[in-house]
Amino acid sequence: MKKANNHKDFKIPEGYLDGFTDKLMERISTSEGNQEARMLPNSDGFKIPDNYFDGLHSNIIEKLEEEEKKVITLKPWRNNLYYAAASVAAAILLTIALQYNQSSEPTFESLAKADIEEYFDQTDFGFSTYEIAEVIPVDDLEVADILEYQFNEENIIDYLDDDIDNIEELNLLDNE
Amino acid sequence: MITEETLVDELRQEKTQAKAFEVLVNTYKERLYWHIRRIVLNHDDTDDVLQNTFIKVYKNINGFKGESQLYSWMYRIATNEALSFLKKQSKNQGISDTELQDRMVANLQADVYFDGDEIQLKLQKAIASLPEKQKLVFNMKYYQEMKYEEISAVLQTSVGALKASYHLAIKKLEKFLKED
Repeated sequence: MKKANNHKDFKIPEGYLDGFTDKLMERISTSEGNQEARMLPNSDGFKIPDNYFDGLHSNIIEKLEEEEKKVITLKPWRNNLYYAAASVAAAILLTIALQYNQSSEPTFESLAKADIEEYFDQTDFGFSTYEIAEVIPVDDLEVADILEYQFNEENIIDYLDDDIDNIEELNLLDNE
Repeated sequence: MITEETLVDELRQEKTQAKAFEVLVNTYKERLYWHIRRIVLNHDDTDDVLQNTFIKVYKNINGFKGESQLYSWMYRIATNEALSFLKKQSKNQGISDTELQDRMVANLQADVYFDGDEIQLKLQKAIASLPEKQKLVFNMKYYQEMKYEEISAVLQTSVGALKASYHLAIKKLEKFLKED
C-alpha cells in the first residue's frame, strides 16, 4: 500500500524543496562558523585604491633596484685608507678613554639590568625579530642546553611577576 | 599551477629568478596585503610594509630551509615587518603602543580608504584594545578564515593556545561592543 505523498490537504510554495538543501547547508555553515561571533560585523570597511595590485610587482622591482644601487662596492685601496683612518681614530679614542677612566672600567656584570633593558628599548637597531632569529646559531645548540638548564627560583618568580598578563601563554587550556 | 618547491628552486637560480619572483608576488600579494592592512590599518603604510616584505623574501630566499611551507614563512615575515613598523612608529612619535593604536583608529575616520560604518569603526577600536597575540589570531581566523593549523605554523603557537586566544578575543570584543 502506497502511503508516501499522501498530503492532499496541505500545500507548499512552488520550488520550496528544490532549494531546501542549499539553504539548510548555508544555515549550518553560518551558525557553525560564527557561533562565537554573532555580534560582530562580517566586513571591516577597508578599501584599496583602484588597480593597486596591478602595479605592485613593478613598484617592488623599482624599490629593489634602488636599494641595490645604494650598495656601492668600495675600491680596495679606498678600503685600506678607511681601515687606516679608523685605526688611527680608534687608537686616539682608546688613549683618551684610558687616561680619563683608568680607575673604573665598566664590565658587563657592573651594568644594572635596567640599564641593559633601557639600552635595548631605546636603541633602534633596525632589525626585526625575524632578522635577529636568523643569526641565532640554532645549529650549535643542543636540546640538553635548554632542557638541562636549571633556572634560579628567584628568576622564575621575577618572570611570573613581570609577565603575569601573558598567563594565556602558559597554555593552561592546552593541557586539558 | 606551479608547486611551492619548484617556485623556491626557481627563485634561487639567477636565470629563472625574475619570472619566479613575479609569480610569487602575484600569488601572495592580496593575502599578505590584507594580513598587513589589518595590523597597520592605513593603506600607504600597508603598501610600504608589503613591499619590504617581498624584498626581504627575495633577499633571504636562500635562508628558507623548507621546514615550514613557503606561505607560512612569508606570513611570518609580513607579521614581523608590520609589528616592527608599528614599534618604530611609536618610538619615533614618542608614544606608547596603546596610544599609537588609539591614534591609528582615530585616523580611520578621515581615511579615504576606509568607509566603515559606526559599528565597523567601533569594532576596530575594540580590536585595537586586544593584546597583540589575540589581535593577530582574531584577524587571521575571523577575517582571513585561516585554519588553526595554518595560524599555528605562522605564529608558532600551539593550536590549543590559539583556540583559547581566539575565544578570549571574541568574548572581549563582544563585551566591548555591548558596553559602548
